[in-house]
Amino acid sequence: MDSNKIIELLARKMAGEATATELEQLNELMAGYPDTVYYEEILKEIWQTSAQNNEQLPLDELYLRHQFRYYVDFAAPAERPVSKTYDPFEKLLAGAAGILVILLICFAWWYITDGDGVKTRIVAGKGIRKKLMLPDGTLVWLNAGSQLSYSSDLNKKKIRRVYLTGEAFFDVSHRSNRPFIVRTDKISVKVLGTAFNIQAYPREHTAEATLLRGSIELSVNDRSGQKVILSPSEKFAFTTGRHSRSGKKDYVRNPRDIRMMIDHVVPVKIGQKEYIEETSWKDDRLVFKNESLEELKPRLERWFNVQIHLESDLPSKYRFTGVFTKESITEALTAMQLIKPFTFKLKAHDVIIY
Amino acid sequence: MPKRLPDLADLISRITLYDSESAYQQLFKFLFPSLYRFCYCLLRSRELAEETANDVMITLWRNRQRLMDIQNISVYAFVIARNLSLNTLNRHSRRELVSLDDIHVDIALDTLDPEQILINEELKRKLEQATATLPNRCKLVFKLIKEDGLSYRETADILNISVKTVDAHLVTAVKRLTAILKAEFKLM
Repeated sequence: MDSNKIIELLARKMAGEATATELEQLNELMAGYPDTVYYEEILKEIWQTSAQNNEQLPLDELYLRHQFRYYVDFAAPAERPVSKTYDPFEKLLAGAAGILVILLICFAWWYITDGDGVKTRIVAGKGIRKKLMLPDGTLVWLNAGSQLSYSSDLNKKKIRRVYLTGEAFFDVSHRSNRPFIVRTDKISVKVLGTAFNIQAYPREHTAEATLLRGSIELSVNDRSGQKVILSPSEKFAFTTGRHSRSGKKDYVRNPRDIRMMIDHVVPVKIGQKEYIEETSWKDDRLVFKNESLEELKPRLERWFNVQIHLESDLPSKYRFTGVFTKESITEALTAMQLIKPFTFKLKAHDVIIY
Repeated sequence: MPKRLPDLADLISRITLYDSESAYQQLFKFLFPSLYRFCYCLLRSRELAEETANDVMITLWRNRQRLMDIQNISVYAFVIARNLSLNTLNRHSRRELVSLDDIHVDIALDTLDPEQILINEELKRKLEQATATLPNRCKLVFKLIKEDGLSYRETADILNISVKTVDAHLVTAVKRLTAILKAEFKLM
């Protein structure tokens, strides 16, 4: 009789349905019949082996087939009520673009390892962020739509010099008497060993440098006499020509006019966490605080690899605060719709906001 | 033991609120294997099982606006799988109606770790024979609880029987297994 009870309780234990008192009772009973330990052992084994063979299906392939089969259901879901534009090739295109960038990076690496005295250029396409290590041990996070080039024997030179277009975060490995210089088309930064972020996208009027630790020496191109020393947690912004924030489109200022601004880096508090807006991109976070859609547009374009067209004035004035991590463009825009009402259309790599 | 995605609720809310395809993809990868195996043991055909499991998933996606109201997505999916499978069987059979009791179910005690010599080939064969003669519902209960790690309540909902019956079925199945072990090892 006892053995029947033991089996009954064992069955429940295996199914995870035994109560605490039942488990206790089982232990007591099994203590009286040492042999029953074998039952438990073998039952456990039977139970576990079948749990392991779960993962044999080619799930990625199955999901692709699934999507292909019901492609109508997966077409541009965010604009469901408005119209039906869908592009089954979008994923293919994104894939192709990804492969291209990977090839480019491979090509660049091949140059690094192979070339001698040759220039190395590393390009991160839109929507791609890359972390890399330079020959001297400096770590570089290259943001989307950016380019970094340097001579391949960087480590042998007296002055370590790299050229950047776009945005990158540098964690420079310290070498006494061998300064590290980052040149962009607007500003240059000279350091010995620090961590800083520098942003100078060619199509924008503003270049920025943000220092996290150590110190850096900044100079504006063509004005090498003027130098600015930044202390930790300071930020330098340099604007040429008209202000990027001025709304009047036809108001053109003298392109030689410049404005330099030095500011403290203030962490942005969103939800429970604090973020540093300028550098959180390197941890795959897009952080923005109280920014209008118009200001956000270039950042979103680079982050998600899309072209955004603002077709109405009102939404572009909306201000947003938020953090994106793994969200897709559709998820991100849908989330933003919850904050302020606007509508958008997604078509291949174009987003129309109206 | 079968893994549970801790953020299943999060996936569902992303699917419902944002129409997130990436969340749906994760849900697909989580549910599909179980659904496929369940359909396979009802339908006995890989093609039909795959098709049915696909249909179950797309039903979830098409009803995504209502998914957040559903308490247990696994049970919901399994119930859809059961219904679709039975529909398919009814369509394919000449008989009037197929019920869960008429279905031949196999329990595989496969893929043992080679290092584990506690169960050898001979014993495995005996155990499989023992489970083969179990009633169908009993086998289904055993499969769902053992292979998909479902609870009594969930299994009861899927097979449309009471929790007590689920318990009784499972105990019967385990008894059948241990009877073999008893003879084999000359235990009490």
